[in-house]
Amino acid sequence: MTQSAIYALAAALAIALSTMFPALGQGKAAKAALESIARQPSAAKDIRSTLLLSLALMEALTIYGLLIAFMLMGKID
Amino acid sequence: MGEASEPLVKIFGVLDISAEVVTMFAILVIVAAISLVVTRNLKERPGRFQNLIEWGVEYLDGFFSDILGKERARKYIPFLGSLFIFILFANYSGLIPGVGIFKYLKAPTSSLSVTLGLSLCAFLFIQISAVRAGAKHYIKHFLTPIVPLLLLDELIKPASLALRLFGNIFGEETVMENLYHILPIGAPMIMMALSIIFCAIQAMVYTMLTASYLQEFIED
Repeated sequence: MTQSAIYALAAALAIALSTMFPALGQGKAAKAALESIARQPSAAKDIRSTLLLSLALMEALTIYGLLIAFMLMGKID
Repeated sequence: MGEASEPLVKIFGVLDISAEVVTMFAILVIVAAISLVVTRNLKERPGRFQNLIEWGVEYLDGFFSDILGKERARKYIPFLGSLFIFILFANYSGLIPGVGIFKYLKAPTSSLSVTLGLSLCAFLFIQISAVRAGAKHYIKHFLTPIVPLLLLDELIKPASLALRLFGNIFGEETVMENLYHILPIGAPMIMMALSIIFCAIQAMVYTMLTASYLQEFIED
């Protein structure tokens, strides 16, 4: 493998892995939130803002992966 | 990556004026103009435009009241609200066709320098407000065996805020640029439609997190 190929592979792995696992976590969080809204619709407002906050915190991990992928892509000639 | 774009006007190599600065000043002028026009003649019975702005302000008030409580939200809303409005406008400025492609305009929040600057403001705001709300409580917060970790945490929080905002907006811009190269007409619209939601959410998340970091310090 050439140097560029390794960089390309690393970039692909960085974004793929950092998308997969936070997505699983976000799915779990959304599932739990939906279930609790269905059980108690009056608490929907509180749950929604907390859900948004936790989703954003998980999303940050994906964004870090994305940034690393962009950085690695810059190194491919 | 993430540095400000090429300086347009060089001033001693320190105060260079880049595309982000131009856009930020444009936002500043627009927001100031809107505020001036709306508050020129306030009426008891709001007109159409005043009603819209009032709804926005009430929404922000309710939004921060949920996190900080009614009284504290009123106290801190000048900073938090301005932060929200600025970030919202800065994010949306990237959606105007031509911004990012045209040399003199670029979404400010797609540059790490700008978001780090915002985070520095947020950091100072949190620490100063926390000390002023109760110095004893503030010191007590740090009096645990894990002080180094807590101090590190205080620095990481604003850094992660900056990285999140920058990463999101920069990512969106890059995706849009790539779509533009695939098919100039039509393709970027898909991402733009999504961006309308994401930009608002990012602005909301940024201020929400700033408010809740402050809340950690000042809650009784």
